[in-house]
Amino acid sequence: MTGSLLLQSLVLGVLLGGLYALLAAGLTLYFGVMRVVMIAHSAFLILAAYLAWYFSQQTGLDPLLSLVFTVPLFFGVGVVMQRLLISRLRPATLTMMSVLLTFSVALVIEGTLGFLFGGTHRRIQLPYAGTSFEIFGANIALVKLIAFGLAAIALAGLYVLLKFTPLGQALRATIQHPEAAQLVGINTDRVAGYGFGLGLATAAIGGTALALDSTIYPSLHWHWIGPLMAIIVVGGLGSIPGAAIAAMALGLGQSLLQIPLGTTWAQTFFYLALFATLMLHPQGFFGDRLAQRF
Amino acid sequence: MSDTEMQPRAEPLAGSLATVGLSKSFGGVRAVDDATVTFLPGKINAVIGPNGSGKTTYFNCVTGMIKPDSGSVSYRGNDITGRPPHRIAQAGIGRSFQLCRIFPRMTVLENMLVSVRSGTVLGKLVSARQRTDIDRARELLTRVGIDHLEHAEARDLSYGQQKLLELAGVLMADPETIMLDEPAGGVNPALIDRIGGLVRTLNSEGKTFLIVEHNMDMIMSLSDHIVVFDRGSPIAAGAPEVVQDDPRVLEAYLGV
Amino acid sequence: MRNDSSRTVVASSAAGWPRARVAKLTGLLALVVFVVAFPRMAADPFILSVGVIIMSYAVLATSWNFVGGFTGYISLGHASYSGLGGYATVLLILHTGVNPWLAMFLGGVIVALLAIPIGIASLRVRGASFVIVSIALVLILLLVFQSWGSFTGGSNGLRVPRPFGDEVLRPEQHERFFYLHAVLLAIAVLCWWLIDRSRFGTGLKAIREDEDKAQSLGVPTFAYKLVVFVISAFFTALGGGMYALWFGFLDPIFQFSILTGSYMVLMSLLGGIRNVFGPILGAVIVGYAMEFFKAQYGDTQIHLVALGVLLGIVVLFMPDGILPALRGLVIRFRPQATSIREVTQEELTRDATGSREESATDRGTGTKEEVSG
Repeated sequence: MTGSLLLQSLVLGVLLGGLYALLAAGLTLYFGVMRVVMIAHSAFLILAAYLAWYFSQQTGLDPLLSLVFTVPLFFGVGVVMQRLLISRLRPATLTMMSVLLTFSVALVIEGTLGFLFGGTHRRIQLPYAGTSFEIFGANIALVKLIAFGLAAIALAGLYVLLKFTPLGQALRATIQHPEAAQLVGINTDRVAGYGFGLGLATAAIGGTALALDSTIYPSLHWHWIGPLMAIIVVGGLGSIPGAAIAAMALGLGQSLLQIPLGTTWAQTFFYLALFATLMLHPQGFFGDRLAQRF
Repeated sequence: MSDTEMQPRAEPLAGSLATVGLSKSFGGVRAVDDATVTFLPGKINAVIGPNGSGKTTYFNCVTGMIKPDSGSVSYRGNDITGRPPHRIAQAGIGRSFQLCRIFPRMTVLENMLVSVRSGTVLGKLVSARQRTDIDRARELLTRVGIDHLEHAEARDLSYGQQKLLELAGVLMADPETIMLDEPAGGVNPALIDRIGGLVRTLNSEGKTFLIVEHNMDMIMSLSDHIVVFDRGSPIAAGAPEVVQDDPRVLEAYLGV
Repeated sequence: MRNDSSRTVVASSAAGWPRARVAKLTGLLALVVFVVAFPRMAADPFILSVGVIIMSYAVLATSWNFVGGFTGYISLGHASYSGLGGYATVLLILHTGVNPWLAMFLGGVIVALLAIPIGIASLRVRGASFVIVSIALVLILLLVFQSWGSFTGGSNGLRVPRPFGDEVLRPEQHERFFYLHAVLLAIAVLCWWLIDRSRFGTGLKAIREDEDKAQSLGVPTFAYKLVVFVISAFFTALGGGMYALWFGFLDPIFQFSILTGSYMVLMSLLGGIRNVFGPILGAVIVGYAMEFFKAQYGDTQIHLVALGVLLGIVVLFMPDGILPALRGLVIRFRPQATSIREVTQEELTRDATGSREESATDRGTGTKEEVSG
């Protein structure tokens, strides 16, 4: 393998890892605030990609502009979903039943997309789709860079929000110790709703980024949910930095393994990492008290 | 630690449950802090202390529900620190929970048949419920006074009856040591008397008790030996009348 | 007055015990008769093939329920084990020429062995990891079986040799496989029932209700979960193997489909996971509805929406399933039920702890007689 090919893979791995990190952060938020494994996360991702595609097809505008309405919309849907659906479940069986509930949401989204748009593969035609440039001999498409930029900005925004705002503080407190958070006067129910909204907002941004340079089809979400879940287990359930680091590491690993193994077999890397983690270190590599119990 | 002189770090008494330097923190808060305690075998031991003094966390560390950060737990001369809860239960330590925990969608009789003292999984797989087990379960249900409810689902019982069921369920495995976390919490005076009576009878049959409780009347009348916790550490220990007059205990409770 | 009513209770519950048992046995007998007679009653081979499909689903859902019903751990990826069972059976036949039925059994054993490390990885911690592994496993197996063309036939699929000769015509094939599935189902049901009655089963149900509490009572929860998980994988693999022998073709897309696993969940949940017959009832309802849907509307994406909505409704509004709901109805409309309950309450307040004992909370279900049934 040549040096430039390796470099290319490294760069692509980082770009992919950025998107994974954003999406895994969303998945971690749901789990953190409510101990919910949100299977529908990647279905919302694909839904956002479809909305971006549909928007750009109907208006002829840049798909990035669809973010203006998909992000608030998804945030709202997240809050409503938590309030109307998830919070109805009995606490004793919450983890299991929420999986089924979000799974059924994923099925409804996939089925609706398939019904409305058919199973055909779709792709956005961008004027700058072919544009690419060279960095140290690695050939990087502009769209990939935009997608990464989008993910990086969103992730940085999420970090600032969690670290420096009152809502972020409430969210972190709820993730770490819900009972203690309640004792100091945090309305954990409401915070959980916002956590859900934020999680879905990451799916909106991720989906738009995905739509820029990927072919999309309704059942695509299954290709995303597996790696994403592997990432949050490896990172330690409930740990956002852990998820981000694991996302980068696994994204890079996948990208590098593609050279000798090809795309299909490289995907198994995620699952091997998942099994290895559960065998050797079940609470994940950055997990805390939370992860030990789940 | 100013009180080490009264909790000598010597070999624990043979046959007793003891902890040495047991500690557990939750994100910077030391819930249990260097707890060195020896409980008297064959006696009714009580653990008291103000709210948030780490009594329940201490219980959870002893029974393996929580892994302590440091320190050790020994029982009958064996180190049982960090063993999984079922191993500790099988070693002969039974426990109840602060907010009574039973299996709500199982019948009262089924609740009684959960506990496992020994035997392999395979053995349990092939053995149907033994007649002897069922007889024993009925005997214990009779003893706590809810035998007439054996076919009811546990969730349909009143809170008091659930408490009695939990106690009977713990007794099924015939543990030598029984840890009760607030047995009098949330139940009426008549039932408190009844539970107290049961504890006394069982003790006279040789069971060692460790009781966390807030009800001082019950503790003072029932226990032989009291350990007082404050901010995660034992600050005093002794007979009820001794502990009652200990200035450190008054300070802890009244915040003088 | 009090004495009178007490005596009534004793009398009616004493009479009620055998009555409940008789009703149950009658129901079971009716079910067996119906199953035996079904192939004769089926109007045409198509109906009979639908019967085989439903029977296969009943086997799979019942097998799923070993884990789901006893421990409350929801596996969305049980298609892994049915798919592996199917492939193991067929590959054994193709490569070793062993008798198809022996191959099916060996396939089950192989899958059970594979389930051990999978169970160790996913059951040591609580539910979330289990669910994640169950889904990941289906996805990884789909990937592997599609890509590893030289061994598994890849995306082109694998033709399954017929266990019965070509002289056995289609309707006859359907009939034989209908009965074979019925036998497998009966064995699985028997096993479920035996575990349900064992100390092991009691421990498993305790895990479902409150895992920490169960462990504090000495139940080795991890070992219990692992054993029942392996049993479940074994039966699921047998179900998958038998279906493969009947269907005659394996395609990884359908063998390792997340949808197959979710059908098992929906069926069990809909029927009621805490009852041995719940998954079977669910299989009949969902299996029939699915075939009806397919016949009416073809294979559109709407069936995904329908599946999703139905699953959501079950999870939100009737997580206990149909059978417990039906039982609740029976209790409510049985005339003497209320009188029994009143006296039981009265008795219980009198006997338990004297007159000061707070009365039992009224949550509307479960008097002496019904709960024990």
